[in-house]
Amino acid sequence: MSLIPLEHGIALAGLLFAIGLVGVMTRRNIVFVLMSLEIMLNSAGLAFVVAGAHHASAEGQVMFLMILTLAAAEVAVGLGLIIQLYRRFKTTDIEVLSALKG
Amino acid sequence: MDYDNAARDTINAFAPSVSWEELLWLLPHEILGATIVFAMLAIAVRRHFFVTTVITTLGLIAAALAASMQFSHLVQGAPSALVTPLFLIDAFAVFFVIVLCLGALALAILGFGYFARLDDAREEFQLLLLLATLGAVTLASSAHFVSVVIGLEMLSMALYGMIAYPIHSKVGAEHSLEAAFKYLVLSAVASATMLFGMALIYSQTGALEVVGSANSMLGYASPLALVGVMLVFVGIAFKLSLFPFHLWTPDVYEGAPLPSVALLATLGKVAVGAFFLRFLIHSHLLLNESVTLVLALLAVASILAGNVLALRQTNLKRLLAYSSIAHMGYWVVALLSGVGLGSQNMAASAAAFYLLTYAALSLGAFACLSIASSSESEAGVLSDYRGLFWRSPWLALALSVMMFGLAGIPLTAGFIAKFQVFFAAVESSQWGLLAALVLGSAIGLFYYLRVIYQMLQPAGEEGRTLRDLGLESVGSVITITLVVLFVLWAGILPEPLLVLIAALFG
Amino acid sequence: MSESLGLLPALPLLGFLILALSGGKLPKTVVALVGAGSIGLAFLVALNLALPIIADDSLIVRETLYTWMAVGSFEAQFGLTLDGLSTVMILVITGVGFLIHLYSTGFMADDPSYSRFFAIMNLFVASMLILVLADNLLLLYLGWEGVGLCSYLLIGFWYVDPKNGYAARKAFVTTRVGDTSMALGLLLLFTQLGSLDIQELMQAAVANWSVGSGLAIAATLLLLGGAVGKSAQLPLQTWLPDAMAGPTPISALIHAATMVTAGVYLVARTHVLFELAPSVQLLVACIGLATLLLAGFTAMTQHDIKRILAYSTISQIGYMFLGLGVGAWSASVFHLMTHAFFKALLFLAAGTVILSLHHEHDIFKMGGKRRQLPIAFASFLIGSLALAAFPFTSGYFSKDEILLAALEFETYGTWLWLGGVIGAVLTGFYSFRLVFVVFFGGSNGHHDAREVTGFSMAAPLFVLMLLALVGGFLTQPTAAVFGAHGQAGEHTVSAALHAVMIAAPLLGMLASYLVYGIGLIAPDTILRSGVARGLHTFWFSGWGFDWVYQRVFVAPFLWLARLNKHDIFDSVVSLLVRLTETANELLARSQTGSLRWYVLSVVGGMVVVLLATDLGGLL
Repeated sequence: MSLIPLEHGIALAGLLFAIGLVGVMTRRNIVFVLMSLEIMLNSAGLAFVVAGAHHASAEGQVMFLMILTLAAAEVAVGLGLIIQLYRRFKTTDIEVLSALKG
Repeated sequence: MDYDNAARDTINAFAPSVSWEELLWLLPHEILGATIVFAMLAIAVRRHFFVTTVITTLGLIAAALAASMQFSHLVQGAPSALVTPLFLIDAFAVFFVIVLCLGALALAILGFGYFARLDDAREEFQLLLLLATLGAVTLASSAHFVSVVIGLEMLSMALYGMIAYPIHSKVGAEHSLEAAFKYLVLSAVASATMLFGMALIYSQTGALEVVGSANSMLGYASPLALVGVMLVFVGIAFKLSLFPFHLWTPDVYEGAPLPSVALLATLGKVAVGAFFLRFLIHSHLLLNESVTLVLALLAVASILAGNVLALRQTNLKRLLAYSSIAHMGYWVVALLSGVGLGSQNMAASAAAFYLLTYAALSLGAFACLSIASSSESEAGVLSDYRGLFWRSPWLALALSVMMFGLAGIPLTAGFIAKFQVFFAAVESSQWGLLAALVLGSAIGLFYYLRVIYQMLQPAGEEGRTLRDLGLESVGSVITITLVVLFVLWAGILPEPLLVLIAALFG
Repeated sequence: MSESLGLLPALPLLGFLILALSGGKLPKTVVALVGAGSIGLAFLVALNLALPIIADDSLIVRETLYTWMAVGSFEAQFGLTLDGLSTVMILVITGVGFLIHLYSTGFMADDPSYSRFFAIMNLFVASMLILVLADNLLLLYLGWEGVGLCSYLLIGFWYVDPKNGYAARKAFVTTRVGDTSMALGLLLLFTQLGSLDIQELMQAAVANWSVGSGLAIAATLLLLGGAVGKSAQLPLQTWLPDAMAGPTPISALIHAATMVTAGVYLVARTHVLFELAPSVQLLVACIGLATLLLAGFTAMTQHDIKRILAYSTISQIGYMFLGLGVGAWSASVFHLMTHAFFKALLFLAAGTVILSLHHEHDIFKMGGKRRQLPIAFASFLIGSLALAAFPFTSGYFSKDEILLAALEFETYGTWLWLGGVIGAVLTGFYSFRLVFVVFFGGSNGHHDAREVTGFSMAAPLFVLMLLALVGGFLTQPTAAVFGAHGQAGEHTVSAALHAVMIAAPLLGMLASYLVYGIGLIAPDTILRSGVARGLHTFWFSGWGFDWVYQRVFVAPFLWLARLNKHDIFDSVVSLLVRLTETANELLARSQTGSLRWYVLSVVGGMVVVLLATDLGGLL
């Protein structure tokens, strides 16, 4: 089994990270914002796995599992908040949340 | 596992089992964890806010005591311990564990008074507080990126809940949902960025340790690793709300209930700051010119932006948010004056002292605000405090002490802290930073004194009546008194504290 | 033992805190007990500290109160030192201070701001003690400013009358001129010698500066500026007579016994520096001489009982400066002590007179009051005798020392001596003019006056009478501080000269007896001649200093202020303010509240951070 070069893996992860970031920046729908966050977190996970494979150490995969848990927790809280938001405003548009400013 | 490399001695040295002795080193963490479980069970049996608060405070006191015992051992020369590769238990870590536990104790007491009349489940606030404390303690004692992530996320997750806490409440708390959402999304972005940075570092050095030789400056020769470091900095800068990652701060401060804001401003900043300090000390990153340039830019921008934004702020919570931005800027100046470079480590002492002082001052300020408020009606606007000196002089006096401290006026801890930063900056000839420091402090003086000026105004119609203090606030009053005494003591007789903190880096 | 050194200023400070924090809610007896009691206790502590030093004057008690902070190479310490010189001072401050506090409990009994009065008095004593005990000039300066502040607050104590507020401001501004000079002096010393610790400073000065070097002259001149301001010497003497607007015990404590002598203390404390600058030392002597003559002439013409005493204070401090100038350090400090006794006595007695005569200040509206006011009369008689240096009273010994030292001074010694002797004639004249006008002759008003007295007011007068009489026999433990020179040695003066010195004040007394006692030469007859009347007006106005200062400083300043109504300097400042406000508006606009914009900012920050990073070969 020939390993994929480290740089390729990192580049892919970086691309995913950028996609996620752009998603968070541009989407108005909160559900999609959360999904974009998932992409960002998973891109970091991918980078860890690639690097772990490169160094032939288990730590990268451990870190990936950590990130998985983290992302799940993040989404759980996020969805809970989205339900509250929908109940109150009947919308998932993120722009309703701009009362605090100045 | 054929990935397992025999050369990775760090794992082998501490895996596979954890000895009793090592478990003993983690006693504060364990006590906190056990208290969480116990409190959860107690809530399941019967909901009672007072009982939950008592359990919480007892657990925090026990953890602080355990940490104090460790501290006295360590100061007397006991060797510091690397407990699994994840935790480094040394005087530095244990000192911050004590500080964090005591801060959490104060917050539990304040939260009790504040949420006493909430028309919803109140007990879980203490649970979340304990969880956040465990996260903070983990972060402050971490020696490895894994424990950093665990600690940071435990802290943040608990904070999401705490910021949104009065979400079901019929009265008051209209913006907590917005605040929580903003914090969640932005904090997740920051976390992802930080994780990606860690991944980049790991890809270049093959090590996840924060302490130890693998991730020292030598390991960062590769540019990709430097990018990783910068991304980690972005995450940290977000948590410390440095410019331009600060935009969430005022909104969250304004929208969240006061005890949660206090936690964000004290435990949140102290834990992240302690980790950052340790990271810089062990990695010698300040030898890299890009790193110092970036940090200097962040510091100057934060000092100027924070102070300028606070200038005309009429909401006291937002004002404190902007002031926190500026203060974290000052703090970075202390770091830049040579953390991890000189043998004396005066800069590290200055930074640690500053962190402690800032936490005490903002704890005191938020405590004063929260004793004047309750979950139903918050006194957050500056005009609420108009004429406070004539209505409740002691509270006004306490708040004035905090404002003087934040402004860095002599005879308060704030002056000593700022003086040390000045001095460290002078010693290391950081003239540009020093100029920002002076300018920022001058602007700062204006808006801190404006708060006091408002309190000295004759009490008009608009000054609203503050919450009547019942039995639930006895603890809050004692807390405020202790914080005021600490701030004055550290301002008038700082020498013992200075010696203690210098010993952390000895 | 060593703890009690810190206790000394702590006691009055504690008294101040209790009185200030209680916010005037305490009953008057408690206020009196706290206010006077704290000083009384401090006196006992001071006595306990002083006894070993009086026994062995080379003893020096040091105490580092605490190290405020030590950061890197910077160390801020607060330390107190008690040596022979400060021993004299603390005994005077707490001893005379206690008597005056005791007197005040009676004098101020009807004042609504009783508590405020004692609070500030206690703060004053604490500051004054810090001033004299400080082992470094910075702490000394702290005490220096502290007493200045208290003086300001107490001169304007009856602030309802704007005139008092004006007097307080005048005192504050005038002494501020001196304080600024002193602060500059401290800066110069610190930058040149690298320390403000008095001991180290003196050693460094001797080691680094030769006698007559420019730096020594500059430093001593600047310090002298501070001393001249505080001690109301030429040319900054004008504030003291107006300072009499405060309650009389204040005048006794601050403007006679203690604060105004701080300048003398400062010069004595830094005498090593002044010895390095002989020309400045001569200047000190000349200032002293000029002041004592000028104030003496003025005192002869005043009508207000307190103003007479104020000018006499200026004149007596002039003697002290003369003594300092001729190197008779010890004699000056001696005169400082005896002066504290008899001048406090005179002021307190004046307070009794004023209170008994329903706040009458004009001596020509009194007259013949010796039967109605027997205690005040006795006090004035004894006080004036001591003031005029009548043989074997306290003032005689101290003034004698100064004049003899002046005579032996190499440069212009004889002239300085002669001036001092003329001053003594004046002193005899004006002090007994007061006694004769107030207590003898026919009554010119207030026929039904009855002496306001009581234990608290009478007892201090009796004690001070005793001290004014026999205070000259007290020995002072300053020999070790001033070294061999500056000590009162055995003077070898011819009997004739000595007779002149004794006769001088007697001559003045005789003259005043002839004019005011029996009216042999009526004052009006003298004033009939134009020259005399002109002189009288000139002297009465304090030699026109106020007039000149009004023209030379105040008027041009007001003119400049008018000219600069739309402050050109201010516009620079307001430009800064506008700049920050604009920045505030711009930045506040960035707080849009929109989450997506916040993310954008984070991303933007990230990009900037990465751009600022030197990525080497990566891109």
